[in-house]
Amino acid sequence: MESVYLFALNFTWQIAALALLALGLAMVFGQLKIMNMAHGEFVMMGAYSWVLVAQMGWPLVLAVPVCVLGVGAIAFVVERVLVRHLYARPFDSLLATWALSIIIRECVELSFGRQFYNVPLPLQGSLDFGIVSYPAYRILVMVCVLALFAALWFYYRNSRLGLRLRAMVENPNLAQAHGINTTRLSTSVFVLGCVFAGLAGLILAPTLSVYPSMGIDALIRSFFALIIGGLGSLEGLAIGTTIVSGMQSGLSALFSQTVGYLGVLVLAVIFIWRRPSGLYNPR
Amino acid sequence: MGSTILVSLLLLLALLAVPVFGSSFLAWQLGLFLLYGIAAQGVGLAWGTGGFLPLGNALFFGGGAYLSAFLLKATNGNLILNLGGMIGIAVLLAGLAFGIGFVLFRGKAGSGPSFSLVALALVLIFSQLANTATGITGGFNGFAGYSTLGNLDAFGNFYYVIVALVVLVTLGLMLIQRLPIGLLLRAMVANEDRLELLGFAPHRLKAGVFAASAFITGLAGGLYASHQGIVTPQAIGFLLSAEFVIWAAVGGRMHPLGPLLGAVAIGWLSSELRDSVSWWELAVACIFLAVVILFTKGAFQIIETVLGLAKRLVPVSRQAKTRAVLTPPQSKAADPISTIRFDDIRLRAGSVRILNGVSLELIDNGVLAVIGPNGAGKSTLLNALTGNLSITGGDVFSGGDRLTNTRPHAVLRRGIGRKMQIPSIFPGLSVAENLLIASFAGRLKVWEYVLPQAMRWESPMVARLLDSAGLSFDPKAGDDAQILSQGTKQVLEFLISTAAEPRVLLLDEPAAGMSPTESQEMVRLIRSYVELTGASIVLIEHDMKVVEALSEKVAVLHFGEVLAQGTFEEVRANPDVQDVYAGGHK
Repeated sequence: MESVYLFALNFTWQIAALALLALGLAMVFGQLKIMNMAHGEFVMMGAYSWVLVAQMGWPLVLAVPVCVLGVGAIAFVVERVLVRHLYARPFDSLLATWALSIIIRECVELSFGRQFYNVPLPLQGSLDFGIVSYPAYRILVMVCVLALFAALWFYYRNSRLGLRLRAMVENPNLAQAHGINTTRLSTSVFVLGCVFAGLAGLILAPTLSVYPSMGIDALIRSFFALIIGGLGSLEGLAIGTTIVSGMQSGLSALFSQTVGYLGVLVLAVIFIWRRPSGLYNPR
Repeated sequence: MGSTILVSLLLLLALLAVPVFGSSFLAWQLGLFLLYGIAAQGVGLAWGTGGFLPLGNALFFGGGAYLSAFLLKATNGNLILNLGGMIGIAVLLAGLAFGIGFVLFRGKAGSGPSFSLVALALVLIFSQLANTATGITGGFNGFAGYSTLGNLDAFGNFYYVIVALVVLVTLGLMLIQRLPIGLLLRAMVANEDRLELLGFAPHRLKAGVFAASAFITGLAGGLYASHQGIVTPQAIGFLLSAEFVIWAAVGGRMHPLGPLLGAVAIGWLSSELRDSVSWWELAVACIFLAVVILFTKGAFQIIETVLGLAKRLVPVSRQAKTRAVLTPPQSKAADPISTIRFDDIRLRAGSVRILNGVSLELIDNGVLAVIGPNGAGKSTLLNALTGNLSITGGDVFSGGDRLTNTRPHAVLRRGIGRKMQIPSIFPGLSVAENLLIASFAGRLKVWEYVLPQAMRWESPMVARLLDSAGLSFDPKAGDDAQILSQGTKQVLEFLISTAAEPRVLLLDEPAAGMSPTESQEMVRLIRSYVELTGASIVLIEHDMKVVEALSEKVAVLHFGEVLAQGTFEEVRANPDVQDVYAGGHK
C-alpha cells in the first residue's frame, strides 16, 4: 500500500517537473515556431544562479532575481541579435540556437568548471501523510506548478494573446498591418519562454545535480512531451508531460532508467512517424 | 572527371608523404583526426547534400568502434576476416540508419528538428548503455585487450589503411556529385515536391543518404578501434556528435573535402590548445555560430573564392566537351492505361467540405477542361488524384484498378504527370539540369542512380514538342532556372512534366501570368502533346480562349460539385453556369 502511494507521489512529481521544464519550450517552439535548441541551456543557467549566489556569498533568496534578470537579459540579447532574423527559417534557427547552446555551455564551464554542484533544499523536512511522508519542497513545487498552470490556462483562454501570436507567426506583415507590434510581441514571448526555462532550472536545481550539460536531457524530454501531446496548447503540454513522465517512471521502476528513456524515444518516433500533430490538436 | 582524380591523387600523395617526412608518431596523431574527418564527411554528406542535420552521428562511429573491437577480439588478427567483418558491421549500421531515416522522413515532421532530436536522443541512450553495460563494453574504463586490424602496427603500417579509407571515401563523395544520384539530391534540396511528382520518393532518397553517412562513419569507427586500442563511451558520446557537426560546418559541408579539413585543422588545434588556452572551445563555438549565420559553406567558401579569382587571373582555354546524347529507355509512365474515372469523390479538411461527390471521367486522346470560380475545388481534385491530399470518400479508378490515395511519388509510375499551379521548377539548377532530371522520371531505376551514362540522357519528347509547337526555347541553357520569366518558367515546367511522356497529364492553370502570345504558344504545346502521344489531359484554366481552343469536353465545378459538363458550347449555353459566372447564383 505504502509503495503505491509513494509511486503515485513520485509520478505526480515527475509530471510537475517535466511540465515546468517544457513550458518555456512550448512557448518558444509551440508559439513562435523557433526550435530553441538552447532551451536546456537556459534551464541550466537558471540552476546555476544558486551556484553564483553561493559563490558570491549573497543570501540565497537573491537567486530568484538573479535568475529572472540574468536569464531574461541574455534571452533579450539573443532574440535581438540572433533569433529575430530567423523567424520562418526553421532550419537556420535550429542550427543557430544549437551553436548558441554550445557557447552557453562553454561559458558556464569556463566560469564554474566541469564539476557537479549540489544545491541545498530551500525547504527542509518532509510532510507526513499518515501512510507515507514526502519531501516538503517537492510538495510545494507540485502545488505551485498546479497553480501556475491553472492561472496560465485561465489567462490564455480569456486573452487574445494566442490569437495575436498565431497571426504573427502565420503572416507577420499582415499582423503588423492589423496593428500588432510584432517586434515587441515576439521579443516578449521569446524572453518569457526563456525566463520560464530558467525558473524551471532554478526550482528543480535542489532536486538534481547541477553541471554544464544538464540541459540536454531537459531539452529532449521537453521536446518529446510537446511532440506527443501536441504543439500550441496547454492541454497538449499537460497530456504530453503526463505520458512521457508516466512512461519513463513506469519503465524505470520496472526495468531500468535506460529502458525508460528508450521507451519514451520509441513512443516519440512512433508519433513523429504516424501522428506528427500529437494527441491534442484543437484545430 | 579529371579534376576528381587529380584532387584524390594529390590528397593521397600528401597523406603518404607524412610518415616519410614526418615521424611515425605524427602519422599516428594525424590518423586519429583523419578518422574523425571521415565521420565529419559523413555529417557533411547528410547535411550538405541531403539537407538534414544528423546530430547524433557518434552513434555510428562509436557503434562501429565497439562492434569492431568485439570482432577483433573474437577473430584475433586475421586480416581478411577482420576486414570482411568490419564492412559487415558498417552495412549493419547503414541498415539501422536507413530504417530510422525511412520512418522519420516519411512522416509530416520530415527532416526538421524532429529528426535531429531523435538522432540526439539515440546517441544519449547508447552512450548511457555503453556506460552502464560494464559486462559487455567495460563501462567507463573502456573495452580493450584486442589486437589491431590484421595485427598491423597502430604506429606504423596501420596509418596506410586509414589513408586508403580517406581517399576512397573522398573519391566516392566526389563521384556522387557527377552521377544521377548527385543531381537527384540537389533537385531534392531545391524542390522536394516537384521531385516527388517526378516519381522519386524524397524520404527514400534521404534515408539512403543517411545510410551512406552511417556506412562511412561506421567504417571510420571500426578503424578507430584498431587505432586507439581501446574504445570508451566517449566514442559514442553526444559531445563527439556535436564536434562532427562543428567540424563539418567550419570546414565546409558542401564540399567533400571540407569536413576533412575542418576535423584535421580544428580537431588537431583543439587537442593542442584545449589544456593551455581555456577559452579555445568557446572560440570554436563562436566560429561555428558565425559559420551558421554568415558563411554557410565554411572555410571552403573562402577557398573557392580564392580559386575563382585565380582562375580569372590565369585564363585557361577550356573546350566544352560535346558529349554524345543518349536516348533513354522507354518511360514507364508512357505505358498504356485505362481511362481514369473519379467516382463520387469526397474530400474534407477539418469542417470544410471541399469536394462533395465529384464523378467525372477523363477523355482519351483529348483535353478535359475543368473550370469554375476560385475555391470551387479544381486544384483539390488534382491533389486528390496525385495523393497530395487524401480522399475522405469515393474512389479513383483506372479501368478496374483503384488509384485512390496513391502516394505522390507513386503517381507517375501509374502514368500520371502534373504541372503545378504556381510554376514549380528546380531553382538553383540550370535549365539543362532541370530537363535532365525530368528525363530520369519514369526511366531511372534504383541501380541506375550511379550509372554515368544516364547523365547524357535526353528525353526525346522535349525536342519533339518544341519542334512541333515551333517554340524558341533553349533546352540546353546553362542559366539558373530561377531567373527565368514567369512565362518561360511555365514552359519549362510543362516540358519537365511531359519529359516522362505520361499518359495522363494534369495541367493546373498553365497559361496563368502569360501574355496573349505566350498563351498561344502554350496552347500549341498542349495540342502537340496530345497529337504526339494521344494522352488524356485535364486542364484547369481561367482563360476561356485557351479553354475554347483546346477542350473536347468542359466540366464546371462549383462548391465541390460538378455543375455541368459537355462541349464548350453546351456549357456556355447552360443557364446555371451563366448564373455562377454572372454572380447571380450563390
